Amino acid sequence: MSMLADIMAHRELLANLIIRNLKSRYKDSALGFLWSILTPLFMAFIYMVFLRILRAGIPMEEILIGVFAWQYTVQCIGNGLTCITENGNLVKKVYFPRMILPLATTISNLVNFLLTLIVQFALVAILLGLHGQHIGVAVIALPAVIAFHFLFCFGIVLFLSCANVYFRDLEHLVNVLVTALFFLTPAMYSFSMVAQIASDKHLPLLAELYMLNPLAVIITAYRALILPDVVFPVTAGAGAGIVIAGLFVILAYGLFQKLQKNFSDMF
Amino acid sequence: MNAIEARLLSKCYRMQGSVAPTMFGKLAHIFRREPPKLLWAMDNVSFDIRRGETIGVIGPNGSGKSSLLSLIARTTAPTSGSVFSRGRVSSLLELGAGFHSELTGRENIFLNGAILGIPKKTLVKRFDGIVDFAGIREFLDMPVKFYSSGMYVRLGFAIAVEMDPDILLIDEVLAVGDTAFQIKCLARIRDFQRRGKTLVLVSHALQTVEEFCDRVFLIHKGKLVCEGKPSEVIFTYLKSYMGEGGGIHAVEYGSRDAEITGVRFIGSSGAETGTFGMGEPFAVEISYRARKRIDQPVFGFAIKTGNGFFVYGSNTQIAGFGIDHVEGQGRIMLKINPLTLMHGNFFLSLSVHSWDHAIQYHRLEDWYPFVVKNSTQEQGIFRLNSSWEMAG
Repeated sequence: MSMLADIMAHRELLANLIIRNLKSRYKDSALGFLWSILTPLFMAFIYMVFLRILRAGIPMEEILIGVFAWQYTVQCIGNGLTCITENGNLVKKVYFPRMILPLATTISNLVNFLLTLIVQFALVAILLGLHGQHIGVAVIALPAVIAFHFLFCFGIVLFLSCANVYFRDLEHLVNVLVTALFFLTPAMYSFSMVAQIASDKHLPLLAELYMLNPLAVIITAYRALILPDVVFPVTAGAGAGIVIAGLFVILAYGLFQKLQKNFSDMF
Repeated sequence: MNAIEARLLSKCYRMQGSVAPTMFGKLAHIFRREPPKLLWAMDNVSFDIRRGETIGVIGPNGSGKSSLLSLIARTTAPTSGSVFSRGRVSSLLELGAGFHSELTGRENIFLNGAILGIPKKTLVKRFDGIVDFAGIREFLDMPVKFYSSGMYVRLGFAIAVEMDPDILLIDEVLAVGDTAFQIKCLARIRDFQRRGKTLVLVSHALQTVEEFCDRVFLIHKGKLVCEGKPSEVIFTYLKSYMGEGGGIHAVEYGSRDAEITGVRFIGSSGAETGTFGMGEPFAVEISYRARKRIDQPVFGFAIKTGNGFFVYGSNTQIAGFGIDHVEGQGRIMLKINPLTLMHGNFFLSLSVHSWDHAIQYHRLEDWYPFVVKNSTQEQGIFRLNSSWEMAG
């Protein structure tokens, strides 16, 4: 039975796990869903104040888009790490396609992301309205970027979830890497700032290399589609970033498929 | 048609020992260069199970019974060989596995149902049945983390019995829970059999295996050492393998001036057996050898249940069966007719001692296992000769 058919046969389980993830996320706090909006908002606010002090001029709407997209990625990394290990009992006792667990994690975080996106859009529209601008028509292409972002996150979750089965202390290393990744990703700043530095220092290669990070491509694409002032850099570096993301997902999928057979022996 | 086919099925576990599944653990292990210890939990096992058959799997602890079920259930992958099953496989292994503590009982019914592969339609239709069976109606909208452990297991079971697979795997479910729970379990198993489902049952409760199964597999050290009719395989198990995995604290002591050299359990047909029916004649032929002449020896016996409860004991002296003397080899017959034990695994202890109990010649404590099967409706461990009449 192919993987897809096997997952389809277990779609009720997938739906239930997604609902479980969302419910348990919103259940234990009085503010529930509100926290998934407030957290990135607070973060965006902090970054803005911080950047103002540094006298780096970056519009609030760019920070908002960057931080919300970053937040989705980071939550996938956090939940992805443990999505197999915390269900060890289940994996040991019951058969179901193991890929359902990372898939449910990525989808439930996507649902959360899409819900916060509504708030994000409202805020961005207001901020743009303040200087007489509005969200461009290019925004209709947003689902394509979201789909690509989802796929990349799924790759990350696949990779981390199976690696964590074999290396339970992976979390510590991942925490460090996530911090590094945060500074390499245009979440609280913009690609135009990187491009500016690259041209100031006469290092055009720097901007190209920077775009090898798929998240840089994804977040810049979000901004370019939503904001009228941001232009997506159609360069070899950005193309390579997309290819790298694709290769990573294929690799992570292959690794997961190879390792999943022995998951139950690891608990 | 075969429901399950296994061909040269093998499963090897690396004994990780102290190696933690962490990066530092792996690193430390590489430097120590210990060769990994291998454990063959399943070793080139081949078999066919026909659709509608009920198979019992018995064997000492750690022989690979549960590994076999995991392989059939596909929760673990074979190291080599293959196992193929036709139809949907479910296992009644872990009650309440996959409950999410933050979610309410109501939500967990649907989540757990989905994990076990029960269609939502069935769950909706059977919802009230599940809730009543588990007896959790007042607690339905409370997170299960506040449930008592009994409620937890009952709810797990109530959901699990709604599964309608083609092949059901059962691992020692009957060992947990109270009597009422076990009766419900057994009733469910009968129901499955009536509907022509295939069952694979792992159990140490040999009388249950004898009662329910069409065929029995005896597994020992990962190998399928024998298969066949329940009574015969159970007999082989009792004679050759039982007690290896612990659980029986058999002891042997005495001066050995007279010793018990052999024991044969004789059933109602007069042939040697390990399984007896309740109410049928029970006989034990004891061979002995006395190194010297012993006057007025006393032969004694005791019967205990599998979990050590002392059921009955007596000896030739109490029974008024005087033995003048023994010398050399001989045989003595212990007869119980009818056998009033109800059902279960029992152990027979035997002894030879002097008439004044001063010298213990030979005592075999909990040495000989046997199985009693009850086919009546009566309950309990011992049959009491009861009757009813209208009073007044």
